[in-house]
Amino acid sequence: MPPSRATHPAKRHHWIVRVTHWVNFVALTLMVATGLRIFNAYPAFARKGERFCCYPFEGREIPSALTFGGWLAGARNWHFAIMWVLVINACVYVGFIYLHGEWRDLVPRRGDIRDSWEMLKFYTFARKDHPIQGKHNALQKGAYFALPIVGLIAVLTGLAIWKPVELSLLTNLFGGYVWARYWHFLAMLALVVLTVVHVFMVFAVDPYSLRSMITGRYDESKSPERRNARPLWWKKPDHPPPNTDHPAPIA
Amino acid sequence: MIDRRRFIEISGASLTAAFLAACDSMGPAGAKKLLSYVEKKNEGVERFLLRHTSMDHARRNAKIAGNAFPTYFVSDTMPMWDTATDGEWTLQVDGAVKKPVRLTLDQLAALPRRSQVVNHYCVEGWNAVAKWTGVRMSDLARLVQPTSDAQYVDFASFDSDYHESWDMESAMHPQTLVAYAMDGRWLGVNHGAPARLHSPVKLGYKNTKYLVRITFMPERNGGYWSDRGYEWFGGT
Repeated sequence: MPPSRATHPAKRHHWIVRVTHWVNFVALTLMVATGLRIFNAYPAFARKGERFCCYPFEGREIPSALTFGGWLAGARNWHFAIMWVLVINACVYVGFIYLHGEWRDLVPRRGDIRDSWEMLKFYTFARKDHPIQGKHNALQKGAYFALPIVGLIAVLTGLAIWKPVELSLLTNLFGGYVWARYWHFLAMLALVVLTVVHVFMVFAVDPYSLRSMITGRYDESKSPERRNARPLWWKKPDHPPPNTDHPAPIA
Repeated sequence: MIDRRRFIEISGASLTAAFLAACDSMGPAGAKKLLSYVEKKNEGVERFLLRHTSMDHARRNAKIAGNAFPTYFVSDTMPMWDTATDGEWTLQVDGAVKKPVRLTLDQLAALPRRSQVVNHYCVEGWNAVAKWTGVRMSDLARLVQPTSDAQYVDFASFDSDYHESWDMESAMHPQTLVAYAMDGRWLGVNHGAPARLHSPVKLGYKNTKYLVRITFMPERNGGYWSDRGYEWFGGT
């Protein structure tokens, strides 16, 4: 048994990546929740006197338990403050992974589509063994690469509806105020879906990676590839750490 | 004793509880100061972005809202100027100006006229297209000649204590009108008759309806919604 593996797991995430990850989590949650509260002031997209083609829930409010800010003005004040945290944090993250080289683990490469297909086959039991992967599998790479791009769209459409007159070029690029507001909503939805799937997969496929986003260390012997891990379906790691029991609480 | 794992569990649980309790709240009281600080900074950004050359245009395929144009007022009943009890309606333009004036509706309508089909952007998120006819604020300013210390303009109404103060630059934007007609007809009582402020460069709540007084000022004096938590600048 190679002792170095279990006791000294390899460093996986730089502290800048870890800090920006969790700042992003908090900022994104607040942006979505305050955004939904703002949306509830007019939970529709149609220009007054018109109909809107492409939203089936026109006029229906979002449950207030999913919102934050208490009322329209409160939510706006939060939204327009946290937006800076989100943007600055995103710039730090993207700037860092560009300068530090981590972008190489995320950019799409030839073969990613084939590898994604193989991952899907594996997850649906159409393939027995886990495809060989690098730091991330092909589906993960796709998601992590898409996230900053969708984020950028969310920021640009947000600017377009914040300043539809002063930044009318941008607003018109998205098809005018009504459509920019719609794209802003869809970008939010895409971010939420990506995040929910991401969190589910962390717990369902690779809970050991949670540690790597906190302490930075990752035990490769427990990687999904080693465990042949599908969502909620994997075998125990080959080499369990020496002591996984809770120490008995002292009364 | 609490080991590390237990600590993470407890703090995770309490963080989650705090987070759920925060749903739809206005957030911690201490955040208020920080939020108003950021609002001030955002105002700087908004002022920086403001251009007198950036114009709002209703999209070519956009419908005039007409009767679908929402209306609101803050008094208990719809404010109506009654000449029998209130006398003739006049618009007073005064404050830090060389030549204060008091204009009747006829006098106002005799000033250079300007019509525009533009968006109305409500803070709630909707927009509505209408054709507004009236006098440019910049033309009114030429008439009264503001002094050099005039940096803000207050627009007051006869709808209770409703008023909103503006920065000079937004007030002097060529699309900022004192409007007395909408969609080719005299302004209706539900839209702020006899005259109202209308500009696409500010959110709806900054555009005072039931206008009676325009005051140029060296300092800002807040506004009805601005004093109730909405951004003072409210630019688009």
